[in-house]
Amino acid sequence: MADGGEAPSSAKTPADFLKSIKGKPVVVKLNSGVDYRGILACLDGYMNIAMEQTEEYVNGQLKNKYGDCFIRGNNVLYISTVRHH
Amino acid sequence: MAEEENTVREPLDLIRLSLDEKVYVKLKGERELRGKLHAYDQHLNMILGDVEETVTSVEIDEETFEEIIKASEGDSSRMVPYLFVRGDGVILVSPPLRS
Amino acid sequence: MIAPKRQNLAGNPSQILPSELIDRCVGSKVWVVMRGDKEIEGTLRRVAAGFDVFVNMVLEDVTEYEITPEGKKVTHLDQILLNGNNIAVLVPGGKPEDQ
Repeated sequence: MADGGEAPSSAKTPADFLKSIKGKPVVVKLNSGVDYRGILACLDGYMNIAMEQTEEYVNGQLKNKYGDCFIRGNNVLYISTVRHH
Repeated sequence: MAEEENTVREPLDLIRLSLDEKVYVKLKGERELRGKLHAYDQHLNMILGDVEETVTSVEIDEETFEEIIKASEGDSSRMVPYLFVRGDGVILVSPPLRS
Repeated sequence: MIAPKRQNLAGNPSQILPSELIDRCVGSKVWVVMRGDKEIEGTLRRVAAGFDVFVNMVLEDVTEYEITPEGKKVTHLDQILLNGNNIAVLVPGGKPEDQ
């Protein structure tokens, strides 16, 4: 990921990370183990997330599709970039 | 920024843009709601109208290990005219598809 | 024993605050044990206090270990923002078997 040449250790906020993944395909994993794959629209400090073209995977199987969706942050385990989409 | 009203700058904007529209809400405990969003707050407490509630249970058949999905469809899914959803039970909210 | 006051810590290099410990881990590998049967290992890039008291972290070159009834499931991820909400233990240096 292009980081604009800044020293990684000097960047103490995830704001840059968030900027760099907005509009990109991401995987959002919930504590329940359910995965959501889609385009990250935005997120806030509670880790509430808005996503587009979202696909819901349970145990690796596609279960649902949502045009837009809002995920409540308390359920989120992590937000991950994806290598291939 | 002429489209200030319609842009999604933070996740909750997505909910704001769904006011007075039918939304899908996924809750903890395999519960799902579909209804018209009348009001919400920052905790995702919500007031929904004309709500269809579906509760799904998955049982594993002990001999075949097949998943038996029991959805309270049709007769057993309930219609609730008006209800309050406590935000901490909310997993996901999906607004209607916008073209 | 009564916990030492903060100002006494300055003269004692052997004692550091938990938040300092996490800050010192930036740039190196960490092993994170979550509540529930999950572990995550990766290189710590950034640390940020969330809106709450917990710490959210950006990790790179991540390996996720899930302990399921079917065995250990391992997933590799490029870069993640980890919710600090469910962190149980953070071990500087990564998983012991890697060293």
